[in-house]
Amino acid sequence: MTPGVSIQRCTNCGADHFPPPMLCSRCSGVAFELVRVFEAVLEEFTTVRHMLGQENWQPRRIASVRTPSGLRLTIGLQDESGPGANLELFEDNSAPFGRARR
Amino acid sequence: MRSFQNAAIIGVGQSAYTRRPQPDQTTQHFMRDAMVAALADAKLTARDIDGLAVSSFSLAPDAAVDLAWKLGLSLRWLIQDTNGGSSAMNMLGHAVRAVDGGVAEAVLVLAGDATGLAGYAKVAANLNSVTQKYLAPLGHGGPNGVYALVANRQMKKYALQKSDYGHIAIAQRQWAAMNPYAVYRTPMTMDEYLAAPLVSDPLSRYDCVPVVAGGQAIVVARPDRAPKGRSGVRVRAHRASFNYDNQQGDGLATGISTFADELWREAGVRPSDIDLASIYDDYPTMVLAQANDLGLIPDNDLSRFCRVTIGEKRFPLNTWGGMLSAGQPGGPAGGLNGISEAVLQLQHRAGERQVKGARLAVATGYGMTMYRYGGTAAAAVLERIE
Repeated sequence: MTPGVSIQRCTNCGADHFPPPMLCSRCSGVAFELVRVFEAVLEEFTTVRHMLGQENWQPRRIASVRTPSGLRLTIGLQDESGPGANLELFEDNSAPFGRARR
Repeated sequence: MRSFQNAAIIGVGQSAYTRRPQPDQTTQHFMRDAMVAALADAKLTARDIDGLAVSSFSLAPDAAVDLAWKLGLSLRWLIQDTNGGSSAMNMLGHAVRAVDGGVAEAVLVLAGDATGLAGYAKVAANLNSVTQKYLAPLGHGGPNGVYALVANRQMKKYALQKSDYGHIAIAQRQWAAMNPYAVYRTPMTMDEYLAAPLVSDPLSRYDCVPVVAGGQAIVVARPDRAPKGRSGVRVRAHRASFNYDNQQGDGLATGISTFADELWREAGVRPSDIDLASIYDDYPTMVLAQANDLGLIPDNDLSRFCRVTIGEKRFPLNTWGGMLSAGQPGGPAGGLNGISEAVLQLQHRAGERQVKGARLAVATGYGMTMYRYGGTAAAAVLERIE
């Protein structure tokens, strides 16, 4: 696990993007810098209790979160945090996860 | 201004639907059965068809031209659409433009899937590269998980209760009881709806579209090719939207919001003139989002629309039972199912579920869960040719 989630920031207009774009949807810029975001606020979550075609599925939580710049990500939620909770973000194999800040 | 005067939907057909296809029941078998049914309905033969529009999640490695070969269709117009739940509506738009413009005489619009449940899980986890890399590793549960988050947002924004969604599922089940093709036809009570197991909170079993194997087809041709004594159905207006907001919104407005005013203006009618609606229903949440975008819900009062308009049967919505009860034979054929039902209703051929005097319908498609919600949408206003 790597602390923070890697997002792309347009070097021309500063807009944040995730997942990575090829061209900035705000200014059409083509250059981005990688930025790590370490925190976000949980907006909604769900517990995925069933998956079609999967046996022995273990329930897991996913959430929609908002970063300080307003970017919204879907993450794997690794604890019982609810809406409004401040989360710390981390990556596992490029995929974004989060849990309550310690 | 009225469009597409020289094109009409003149026939519809579908295969049987099944929850669990046998190994020898492939996507192409279901598509063939749908084609045969649609041609019989239109009173045409395969030799009359010179255009084919096709969409499926499970046709690969074959492409549209391979399917044309297997179906014995020699063509001068061919497209393959890759926009999931809005593919059917996109293909309808392409087909009426092709026939109206004289590029093709008779177009078969065909869709189907036979992934099976395990195959569907693979499709859901590999819908695009973003899903593969950033959603599937979370155990997001496919579209159910994504739309559970959208439903949470919708409930919060519009102060909806879980039972509000139930009115849509229950009403559609009542319609499905009158559709011999529907996979779920047993009437459902609110208690049964509310007691159903959760799939991904707040979505429970009856909020999630049941995947089936099946095929669906319609035939678009000049209006005078309609079988004798039967009205064709004309497209008064058609619009589509793709990647309308770069996934930067909340998903509670769909791409329909970008063109609804234009759609109604071109059709020359208002939402209140519509006799019935086929709204793409992978989830009740998205039925409400699309209906609201279309202007079918006065004052954005989603709760009242559910409890009164639908719960008290004041407006015919998804009169074949919708995909929620009739089954979703893949997104593309599911969308075509709604169009077909609108055609049957406007031709006054819907049997015991016929909406009396139906003259105008609106139908939609919605799909391609790119990341946080669907990125494609399309809609048409359909009219009975008198």
